[in-house]
Amino acid sequence: MADPILKVRDLTTRFFTEEGQVNAVEHVSFDVEDGEIFGIVGESGSGKSVTALSVIDLIESPGRVTDGEIWYRNETLADEFRGSTPDAVDGDFVDVRRLPKGVRRSLRGPSFSMVFQDPMSSFNPSLTVGEQIAEAVEVQRRARSNPRSTRSRTQGYGLGKLVADTLLPSQRYVSDESMDRAVELLDQVGIPDPEDRAEEYPHQFSGGMLQRAMIAQALAGEPDILVADEPTTALDVTIQAQILNLLRDLQEHEGMSILMITHDLGVIARMCDRVGVMYAGEIVERGPLSDIFDNPVHPYTQGLLGSIPDVDDPSTRLEPISGNVPSLIDSEMPNACYFADRCPNAMNDCLTRIPEYELDGRHSVRCVLAEREYDPNDAIDTEVYADD
Amino acid sequence: MTDSLLEVRDLQKYYFERDTFVDSLLGRERRSVKAVDGISFDIQPGETLGLVGESGCGKSTTGETLLRLREATGGSVRFDGENVFEMDSDELKAFRKDAQIVFQDPFSSLDPRMTIGDIIAEPLKIHGIPEGAGDQSKREWRRDKAGELLERVGLSANQLDRYPHEFSGGQRQRIGIARALALEPDFIVLDEPVSALDVSVQAQVLNLLDDLQDDFGLTYLFIAHDLSVVRHICDRVAVMYLGNIVELGPTDELFESPKHPYTQALLESVPRPSTAEHGRRVEALSGDVPSPRNPPSGCRFRTRCPKVIPPDDLNIDQATYRAVMDLRDALVVGDVNPDHIWEAADPERVDEEAFIEEARSRHVAAELRGEVAGAVDTALGHLAEGDEERARETLRRRFESPCETRRPAVGDAPHPAACHLFEGSDEVTVIETNESAAIEADD
Ligand SMILES: Nc1ncnc2c1ncn2[C@@H]1O[C@H](COP(=O)(O)OP(=O)(O)O)[C@@H](O)[C@H]1O
Ligand code: SF4
Ligand code: SF4
Ligand SMILES: [Mg+2]
Repeated sequence: MADPILKVRDLTTRFFTEEGQVNAVEHVSFDVEDGEIFGIVGESGSGKSVTALSVIDLIESPGRVTDGEIWYRNETLADEFRGSTPDAVDGDFVDVRRLPKGVRRSLRGPSFSMVFQDPMSSFNPSLTVGEQIAEAVEVQRRARSNPRSTRSRTQGYGLGKLVADTLLPSQRYVSDESMDRAVELLDQVGIPDPEDRAEEYPHQFSGGMLQRAMIAQALAGEPDILVADEPTTALDVTIQAQILNLLRDLQEHEGMSILMITHDLGVIARMCDRVGVMYAGEIVERGPLSDIFDNPVHPYTQGLLGSIPDVDDPSTRLEPISGNVPSLIDSEMPNACYFADRCPNAMNDCLTRIPEYELDGRHSVRCVLAEREYDPNDAIDTEVYADD
Repeated sequence: MTDSLLEVRDLQKYYFERDTFVDSLLGRERRSVKAVDGISFDIQPGETLGLVGESGCGKSTTGETLLRLREATGGSVRFDGENVFEMDSDELKAFRKDAQIVFQDPFSSLDPRMTIGDIIAEPLKIHGIPEGAGDQSKREWRRDKAGELLERVGLSANQLDRYPHEFSGGQRQRIGIARALALEPDFIVLDEPVSALDVSVQAQVLNLLDDLQDDFGLTYLFIAHDLSVVRHICDRVAVMYLGNIVELGPTDELFESPKHPYTQALLESVPRPSTAEHGRRVEALSGDVPSPRNPPSGCRFRTRCPKVIPPDDLNIDQATYRAVMDLRDALVVGDVNPDHIWEAADPERVDEEAFIEEARSRHVAAELRGEVAGAVDTALGHLAEGDEERARETLRRRFESPCETRRPAVGDAPHPAACHLFEGSDEVTVIETNESAAIEADD
């Protein structure tokens, strides 16, 4: 197999808030292979979005990536920094975190690009959709000629930083060429009559059409890796089907790699080759789709699969995981497996931090059951929640 | 059926826009949004009827209108035999006790300044329960009752003095359910009660709802967009599209042999959480749901229906017919711009052949042959000459579908589907005046 395009190692991201330190992402490791769709699944607050934002260097104060490496395969960059920053280079890979800030920023677009859940807040309401995509094209053009100095009026969007807009120059600096390219991109993502639609404002688009437009914008830089954070969660199921088809086409025809974040195991199953399951900031289980769905080892993965209603299954009872999603405030996190208070298999061995065990080369799990059987004599009395 | 707890007949709810005095001064014509457009169904005691459909199809409006939380613009609702829309204030008060609602959003539906004990007891207070007794003992009685309810929904009575923000989404939804139970209702409208919850917590709440139904003999109208959830909790399911019910049937039957093309498309679209799902490519419906401000004539689903029926005398395969109908819809909604086609085909604007070819490649996703190609090309010729109206009319004359002139109705069959493909002897068809031509002409 070819080298992966991305190797994330021990990524750790924290937020330093008034309520305390939030351990949003803890020692997360995974690879994204060339041309694959790698999925991260988990419930809300498990750290999926923060992982995605950390990878593309969009974590903002009070948050910080405090630890870990993000190895990105790029021969040109590796050659460029081999002499000056040898620590940041390993073969064809560079550790993005160790590159200068300007270089990191210039990777957004041609290397990493992102699609968010809510297309409405990702576009500037006062500029046409075409202009905004053309700007992304323009930014890429400029980046190519002068890689370290780019700024766009739309840059703040997608993270809801509407303020950024007012601070930046409002003069139009989109060339006809970039506008033509924007129309092409809109056409590519399946927007009918793209010339006219390019002239329209975001509010004139339906949710599904705007999601397509955001994908078009993300494609402007011809990224190696597209990070898609819940790209279909806000959409109805028939529109979701359209968008998933589109992402699949892009991955197949453009050879793009996709890091797909979702809470929906169905979307994971349809789209992803391999998957990581997140719980309380950690990837608790990781492997090829079939290992995760057919041979899950981690009790959380098993519980998650048991609690989703299946549209093809007529039985009426579900098997929920008891309890609630845990707090990630550092001071409230136990020195134990984070799932121990909800786990039906919790044992004395679980009352310590659990390392990641490799089951075989491709399947890994953060649970003692990788090494031993459940023994009821060894069970601990987990905090019982008032559920069922 | 006489034993229904709830009988909804031709329920209609239009919202009106541009309806203010200022609008009338400005001479703006009032515009209706046909949120719910004549739907009928029954719910038997102890049953759970699911109401599914995509956002904006009228599910919540249905739930709120039948509880008289919004005023209907037509139709009737009978609860336990009584006409809800004709109740006087005493009767309405009694109805409000028997019929409750739980909302989707566990964050905004609870007053943040009230303790959960007060939130749960509030309906009791409003209804003057318990009767008699002094104020002090009333309050204690209500507090005890709230504590019991809290325990019943899986929380602890010693949490009565806490505030909503101290609870997670799933716990807040339990609190909302406890409040709905306070008046010992017979019937609860559950409006997307688990949509905002994570799957592990969602499963807990679904099981809770199931248990409560058994224990208290409750009847539910369960509104949801998630078909998997509906399959698990409902006895029968009604599928809505653009203000209409398009299919209604027993849950397993509807999921295993869906009749209506829309139901089929919905089920086809749902991603399944299993390895067999990997790489499955769904034949996605084209386009978006049309606006309820100007819904399509005839069958509401005809602008997206893969099975839309060609005229009898036309020999055409289904995919090609759909492609031609998409062209017609594109012309109606203004997605075809002749200037752009000329630009790409021949900026000098003389070569009509080139125009037609370009228009076909842009707007017709099928190979056209024979008579079909002839009719389409003639229409595109008119378009090239700048006569869009005539282009539309040419296409309409040759390709008009019965699905656009006649509105299919849900009949009385045990598992009816509102689709011309299922017109049996017992299913009525409403013949509409042909408003389609009128709409297309003034667009
Ligand atoms: N800007 C922020 N400030 C403080 N905490 C944050 C911030 N963004 C995310 N978090 C916290 O990080 C954790 C993981 O969040 P997130 O990655 O958004 O989860 P997911 O995407 O899986 O729902 C949560 O506890 C969340 O509250
Ligand atoms: S480590 Fe122990 S508590 Fe944690 S998931 Fe495994 S068995 Fe359960
Ligand atoms: S009536 Fe026609 S358009 Fe409507 S669902 Fe049936 S076949 Fe499709
Ligand atoms: Mg998220």
